Amino acid sequence: MKGLTKFLIWSVIGLINAALIWAVFTIFSLGNYGMGTIIAIFVIAADWAVFSPKGYPYRYTLPALFFVFLLTIYPMYYTFKTAFTNYGTGNLFSREEAINTLLNDPSYFYEPEDGDILNFKVFVKYDDNFKPTEDFLILLKNGNDYYLTEKPEILKYNSKGQLTNAESRMYKIENDTVTINTNTYSVMRSETKMSESQALIVSIEDQNGKRYSYFYGIGDPTVASNSAYYNSVLREKYIKALEINYQAKKFRLSSRNIYRNFSETYRVYDISVKSESKGERKIYKTVVVNKLTNREVVENDSAFYDIDTNGNLKRLVGYIDNVGFSQFDKIINDPKISGPFLKIFIWTFLYALLSVIFTFIIGLVLALVLNDKNLKGKIIYRTLLIIPWAVPAFISALVWKNGFFNETYGIINKFFLGTFGIAPIKWMNDPFWAKVAVLILNTWLGFPYMMTVTLGALQSIPDELYEASSIDGASPWRQFSKITMPLLMIAVSPLLVMSFAFNFNNFTNIYLLTGGGPAIPGANTPAGSTDILISYTYKLAFDGRGQDFGFASAISIIIFIIVSGISYVNFKISGAFEEVNR
Amino acid sequence: MKKWAILALVMMLSVVSVFSATIVIWSSEKQVDFMKKIGQQFTKDTGITVDVQMVNYGDIKSKYLTAAQAGEGPDIIVGAHDWVGELVENGLVESIPFSAIESDKFAESGLNAFTVDGKLYGVPYAIEALAILYNKDYIPEPPATFAELKEIAKDYTTDETLGFVFDAANFYHAYGFLAGMGGNVFAWDKKTGYDVNNIGLNNEGAIEGLKLITSLYEEGIIPQGANGNTADSMFKEGLAAAIINGPWAVADYLNAGIDFGVLPLTELELAPGKYGKPFVGVQGLMINSKSANKAFAKEFVINYLATADGIYNFYIADPRLPSRNDVTELIKTKGGPVPQEIVDEFVKSAAGGEPMPNVPEMGSVWSPMADALSLAYSGQLSPAEALNDAVSKIKEAIK
Repeated sequence: MKGLTKFLIWSVIGLINAALIWAVFTIFSLGNYGMGTIIAIFVIAADWAVFSPKGYPYRYTLPALFFVFLLTIYPMYYTFKTAFTNYGTGNLFSREEAINTLLNDPSYFYEPEDGDILNFKVFVKYDDNFKPTEDFLILLKNGNDYYLTEKPEILKYNSKGQLTNAESRMYKIENDTVTINTNTYSVMRSETKMSESQALIVSIEDQNGKRYSYFYGIGDPTVASNSAYYNSVLREKYIKALEINYQAKKFRLSSRNIYRNFSETYRVYDISVKSESKGERKIYKTVVVNKLTNREVVENDSAFYDIDTNGNLKRLVGYIDNVGFSQFDKIINDPKISGPFLKIFIWTFLYALLSVIFTFIIGLVLALVLNDKNLKGKIIYRTLLIIPWAVPAFISALVWKNGFFNETYGIINKFFLGTFGIAPIKWMNDPFWAKVAVLILNTWLGFPYMMTVTLGALQSIPDELYEASSIDGASPWRQFSKITMPLLMIAVSPLLVMSFAFNFNNFTNIYLLTGGGPAIPGANTPAGSTDILISYTYKLAFDGRGQDFGFASAISIIIFIIVSGISYVNFKISGAFEEVNR
Repeated sequence: MKKWAILALVMMLSVVSVFSATIVIWSSEKQVDFMKKIGQQFTKDTGITVDVQMVNYGDIKSKYLTAAQAGEGPDIIVGAHDWVGELVENGLVESIPFSAIESDKFAESGLNAFTVDGKLYGVPYAIEALAILYNKDYIPEPPATFAELKEIAKDYTTDETLGFVFDAANFYHAYGFLAGMGGNVFAWDKKTGYDVNNIGLNNEGAIEGLKLITSLYEEGIIPQGANGNTADSMFKEGLAAAIINGPWAVADYLNAGIDFGVLPLTELELAPGKYGKPFVGVQGLMINSKSANKAFAKEFVINYLATADGIYNFYIADPRLPSRNDVTELIKTKGGPVPQEIVDEFVKSAAGGEPMPNVPEMGSVWSPMADALSLAYSGQLSPAEALNDAVSKIKEAIK
């Protein structure tokens, strides 16, 4: 038994190690070195704490520290970093990656209309078991001329181990022989009655008698069964990024002809270094040049622009750039934000405050009832009352929206008001009633939590206090206001402050129920009547022309400052933590 | 000693991982099965495995944006043409040479929809546009004019049934009326593309169009709060006489046993000489430009999925209008899950419709327009005021 436990513990430690080490490698390969280093350090520290007796005390603090870092500090750091950039739609990659794309991505290659197109066949050396090996030659055909190229020797890979570029040189076959570097290859033709130059080439031999056999040619049914090896091994590992040089010409698998042949293909963009004199000093700058027009690519506003023949700028690719405080500047100076800000801020504040008050009052009343010793069937009531908390808020919100608040078909308008002949309430179209609807939903979702915590706090109040006070002749109300409430608030008030902070950013309910609507007539900003700060931010950053992470980060920092300020004042006023500190 | 050995073993296992070329496709539910089958054929032919993953249609674009920029994500996504603008701006979608596909076989509107700055960024497989579906039990012969439709609808608007209902608060559904009367989102020119600074959503035509829909609310034909779900479920239960919906819904109504006819929006005369003009949406296959396997992905799309047979299979799985003209013929001979006359009517609606702009600025149009529509329907603003508001919001957002 003991052995099994030990085995399980070691397996768990091993698995955690494996997962973390895998994470380190993955994160490194994604280029996030800071995060990778921190996790690597943690793995080493954790193993030290586990295996070394000296590290024993750190066994318990290390995981906590790790999760504090992973779940709190790192996201905060990342948000902060992003707030000073223009990261968002159109600006997703670093400048280096952007240049790399322009230079190496086949989408920016150019196949001249009148360029040479070469059909090709692959010849492979078989091993002793008649299995194809990765030793191959490519025979290319241009008109009546044949050329041969060896397996590429220069291969470049990116950080993920994917092939980005391969190069080889091809040579013209004359009199059925060709010399490449130190090898001389001779061509073997099939023995047919056709004239010498038209007979099919079946194999190629070098001077040592090493034989390469005809293996694959596109569209040739006799070798179609070799297609899988060609595509998944030879093409995947070498040919897909192969650039064949011949004199001044360069050939690649033609994307225009869906990779059925090689065609003349050139890079459109190239980098060159430009010197600029800045006062006394000369500075050097890498610039991207369009080789077709021989013009320098314009770099402006964190993006590369090409100039077309009419002199118009055409955006090629943008990159992430440091923009300093300009996102914050936008928040302060943009009338789209500063205009409705006060209005939204007041409603956000009210929304959070009223949500806390309503949920607390209802929760308290229900808790007092449930705490009554004379109440029968407590468990049933308690279970029923916790249901709103147990049902996912997403579902509740949609049920309320479509089932209760629908203007024509909702239960409230159709049955409750309809039966009494009261005019239907425009839940989703009237600003006031929309706010009421949002608060009703939030109260419904929030009161079970308040009830549960209050119930716990109530049960911790000693019965002796009530007994003593009733002997002294205190009325139930006096007992409630002088004993229950003061003792209750000590336990509950920090939770109320936290609940306020939570509701301040309670995005889901607003988003799902009203989507911030109804719209305000005559406004020229997208702010709706029930928009709170966070939902309005979402609209501005994500509900338009793509996504604007930099802006969203900047505004979430501002919201963080506001919420923490309000919470600080709240804690001070309510003295919520005084009891704890004492 | 033993513990170190275990640790070393686990570490070794974690480092060793297997690399092989796989094409990953993200698609929504209906197409997954047949794409898997075609994928197996591709694997047999080329040795490259194909992994078709089911992703909710609504999630594909947002998940893809996140995954692709990290260099992860699928090699092929199946989605709508109006994603293309944003994907192109982000550099996350691969262009496909026109010469690589049989471009003369494809409907021109389908290819145009996936074209940005003269380059093709996706291969269309289906074209769709809204049309009016009418229950033949209520309406034996389709009305010719909007006024007629309203008269008929009024007769059937009772406590139990609705005469004519659709998702009017959704700009996609309302646009057919706005555009039909002369409105448009962005001015378009074949040479220069969309002019996003020239917005035609508050011109006289758009206002007249919105007035038509608003009148449906004012006269009690469409109840406040009715939405697409209302229309869909009531029509399915035979309680709505006429609705507006797209070809994707047809199979459901056939299964529900509703005997219905289709009236192309483009054949409904809104005002003398003016006919409805719905948005045309195009579904297609797009290739991840950051993928290491994009050449294989391209081959799979072009040689296996976008062929006449491939697109016929798309049609069988999800009967929207095929993007290839030769597939329309194929359906006529081989048949399909939907009766031919229904397909034909939707084809007419799509032929006369207007492609939804594929510029990223379109993203800034939806919610101001949704606001404007609901303000107008609830009577808080006149149609003209609501549209003027919306246009100024859109201009503010695009600026």
